[in-house]
Amino acid sequence: MGITRREFMKNSVAASVAASAAAVVGLPLSTDAEAAIAQSEAGWQWDKGACRFCGTGCGIMIATKDGRIVATKGDPKAPVNKGLNCVKGYFNGKIMYGQDRLTTPLLRMTDGKFDKKGKFVPVSWDKAMEIMVEKFMAAYKEKGPHGVGLFGSGQWTVPEGYVAAKLWKVGFRSNNIDPNARHCMASAVAAFMQTFGIDEPAGNYDDIEHTDTAILWGANMAEMHPILWSRITDRRLTHKEMKVVNLSTYSNMSSDIADLEIIFKPSGDLSIQNYIAREIVKRGAVDHEFVKKNGQFATGPYDIGYGFRPKNADKFHSPAEMEVVKNEQVRVLDKWEAIGQRRKEGDVVQQANAATAGKDWAISFEDFAKALEPYDLDYCVATAKGDPDESDEAFKKKLVELADYYCDPKRKVVSYWTMGFNQHQRGTWVNEQCYTNHLLTGKQSKPGNGAFSLTGQPSACGTAREVGTFSHRLPADMVVMNPKHRALSEKLWKLPAKTLNPQMGSHYVKIMRDLEDGTCKWAMVQVNNPWQNTANLNHWIKAAREMDNFIVCCDGYPTVSAKVADLVLPAAMIFEKWGFYGNAERRTQCWRQQVKPVGESMGDMWILLEMAKRIKIKDCWGEQKIAGLKAPGFEDGKLPSVIDEAVKMGYNPEASLYDALFATPAHKKAYPWPDKVAKGHGNHIAEDLGWFAEKAMFEEYRAFGTDHGHDLAPFDVYYDDAVRGLKWPVVLKDGKWVETGWRFNEEYDPYVKKGQGIYFYGNDGNALVMGDLDKPGDGSVKVKLDGKAKIYFRPYATPVEEPDTHFNLWLCTGRVLEHWHSGSMTRRVPELHRAVPNAVCWIHPKDADARGLKRNDLVWVESRRGKVKVRIETGGRNRVPRGLVYVPWFDESVLINKVCLDSTCPISKETDFKKCSVKVYKA
Amino acid sequence: MNLSGILVIATPEWVETVVTELNAMEGIEVHQTDPVTGRIIVVQEATDIHAEIEGVKRIKAMPHVVMADMVYHYFADDARAYDAMPAELTEDTQVCVPAYLNT
Repeated sequence: MGITRREFMKNSVAASVAASAAAVVGLPLSTDAEAAIAQSEAGWQWDKGACRFCGTGCGIMIATKDGRIVATKGDPKAPVNKGLNCVKGYFNGKIMYGQDRLTTPLLRMTDGKFDKKGKFVPVSWDKAMEIMVEKFMAAYKEKGPHGVGLFGSGQWTVPEGYVAAKLWKVGFRSNNIDPNARHCMASAVAAFMQTFGIDEPAGNYDDIEHTDTAILWGANMAEMHPILWSRITDRRLTHKEMKVVNLSTYSNMSSDIADLEIIFKPSGDLSIQNYIAREIVKRGAVDHEFVKKNGQFATGPYDIGYGFRPKNADKFHSPAEMEVVKNEQVRVLDKWEAIGQRRKEGDVVQQANAATAGKDWAISFEDFAKALEPYDLDYCVATAKGDPDESDEAFKKKLVELADYYCDPKRKVVSYWTMGFNQHQRGTWVNEQCYTNHLLTGKQSKPGNGAFSLTGQPSACGTAREVGTFSHRLPADMVVMNPKHRALSEKLWKLPAKTLNPQMGSHYVKIMRDLEDGTCKWAMVQVNNPWQNTANLNHWIKAAREMDNFIVCCDGYPTVSAKVADLVLPAAMIFEKWGFYGNAERRTQCWRQQVKPVGESMGDMWILLEMAKRIKIKDCWGEQKIAGLKAPGFEDGKLPSVIDEAVKMGYNPEASLYDALFATPAHKKAYPWPDKVAKGHGNHIAEDLGWFAEKAMFEEYRAFGTDHGHDLAPFDVYYDDAVRGLKWPVVLKDGKWVETGWRFNEEYDPYVKKGQGIYFYGNDGNALVMGDLDKPGDGSVKVKLDGKAKIYFRPYATPVEEPDTHFNLWLCTGRVLEHWHSGSMTRRVPELHRAVPNAVCWIHPKDADARGLKRNDLVWVESRRGKVKVRIETGGRNRVPRGLVYVPWFDESVLINKVCLDSTCPISKETDFKKCSVKVYKA
Repeated sequence: MNLSGILVIATPEWVETVVTELNAMEGIEVHQTDPVTGRIIVVQEATDIHAEIEGVKRIKAMPHVVMADMVYHYFADDARAYDAMPAELTEDTQVCVPAYLNT
């Protein structure tokens, strides 16, 4: 037995404090500690890497000895974390060595044959691939390119995501590939694209050391981004003007150092943001010069639905569920929604724009100001005050103070958010409102000033977003629906015209719905856990286990998704392979393989390439029928055969997708293995394939972003000993690869020309039709958007499911510090497991009392969709207001997503995991 | 058990004195000290949240302490509850088919 849990926790606590103190002064280790370290590290080989967990992207150093990882530590040279690590970060090296690590492919079999109802039995890789491809081709032939799906990940490395996207979109001509980042970042992406015409934050983490104000909107940074939090804490302790504001639906650890804590009601953030905008206008705090040069006021439709099944929902949902789901067609406005949308209470609104939720048009400043008029303090009390035990006056006073911060022209402000904004039925709107307030005041794209979307996964930015592994995306912010983007991609990929499928594929939740209704019959899972992370789980578990579907799960551990699968493939983990991650500040970082994969496990990229070896060009590039396809040039609903054209271009229809698209003679020649960049490190994939696939794929991918605002440096530059990741765009200047600190700012961004100052080039060439608050105009007046960001008005919208007399509490879900995502890795680290062994349900002591419950009681948490058993907690780190309960989702024995509502933002298709209604009673 | 991580800033010339006094206080451990900036990292163990806050106030009131703030707060349940590990984490040997998958 190692150190006791108590000692462990004390050390963790001390380290966290040191973290906050060290960020500036570099609080040194004691000399005893230094000496002990020197002695114990004899014979270790240290190499740089990036942390496997959240989107912060801390640099870590990994030590290996005799083929095992013996230690990890924060990388003192890493600008993100300056040598610090959070509790999870300490254990990067341990996550690969859980007792139940998967070591061999497993197939459900009875009497030596595949049987959906059989037990898992070890099989060879060859046998696994054979049955997998057989089932794939059967589904592909029966249902077409959109009859197969891939649940991808913001934890894929950049080359892995690129191979997956190319195999699906080019090889299979299928856009049914979507990452779990849909659950975490899609609203941020949609808002970036709508507002700026280009994805990802303008600023970077150094904003913290430049700002006077950090405003947290639905981001419990103290637990979820501890290292960034330590930098904020340090700023708060060392910069006299620094203020920290924590807006949340419950009181959490981030409130400990906050100067102002605002507890708001679910969806009340929409009202509060409009109140701030209204104050900015009323107080004359608009930076008119900035707005005139860099902004265009805009709005869009309000009748956009809630992201449920568009039709035939009653065939799949119970009558109880339909009470909520029916709002997808018709919504009856309540009082406050009606006031905020300039309608009448009780108005019956057809959700006519559910399929066109993202359309928008230009409006005048006068209309913008008029729309804000209802959003005064009383409106906020009614729609946004989250703690029933707080007085109206106290709440109002806080909102005034919050508005003061945004309005003060001398005060620098950074707004941070994560899932509170993104996992929201109006997630795209609420992101856009935040930009609105920063743009109105000119506090954007300047050091210390900006709206900053944080990410939850290590490569949600680098892989999911930048590589384009979403059902609508291509690399470098391009989309499959845009004919110009397809043409450019077909050119770079050397494909016949019309190879790429213009029909958007199914987003993450829709792939689940497709499995349920038989549209899709084969699905693969890589580096994520869909059957734990998707809301309304009972439906999807049934779809996997009881329908005629074939599910393949690649993972290092037996997750819930492995358990419901038909075939489980053992995947190599983080430091068992080479990789790149891209963090939330556009920093691309890399690592080498440090150790050989455990057992027979292989990297996810190898699994995809091995699959590609078994499928031929002629299997996929013939004529394909696509349901719903109506794009110009594809009016007959079919993708044409491109085989003849491909032959003319030199493709052999008998060639495998692997030989034709990946292991081309040019790649094998240009990227041989071994490569000197390895410095003696192995590469289990390159050693098997005979060429350096990661490097070839990275270089091929890089062509998409070059001169397109997304420039990356060459592969080898990132592996240079002196480099600790680079923030894109990275351009060559005087023989050096130079990164970009603040985008859209002449001083820092190579894409902004001299004399342009702040210039939002993402919207160059775009235009909006001029309209009024209710509708776009007739199209006669168009407004050019060159250099401009859109400043949206978005109204308050009441959540689609609210507590009532029966289901009388709000349920909010999220994470805890010690565990990450579904716990498949962190629960295998004994120290982390012991720290927080199981999920609990945080409930207000009075709410517990009223239900005859006391702390530690086992309860049922039940919604219209399902129920789970869990112990209640009335104290501790989270203090929920009366009327709301909080349950983290890391624990597979408390599958809270059985309870959650699968409503999504209609624009981004991201699920709202933060609000639905439940009842809690003794189990 | 309540653990709090407290950042104490003392007047640099008095750091040693402050550290000695802190170490003498019940439930307090000094983990790191930086004599140049006067920063001291303290972990406090307290039975409940009231004792925890009282403890911080006590430190703030000490002579030569410029500032003391709780940076990190950890609240833990009864330690015994944490000894139990779920079955899938305690399987003795490396198994090909984790039992969990076939249940």
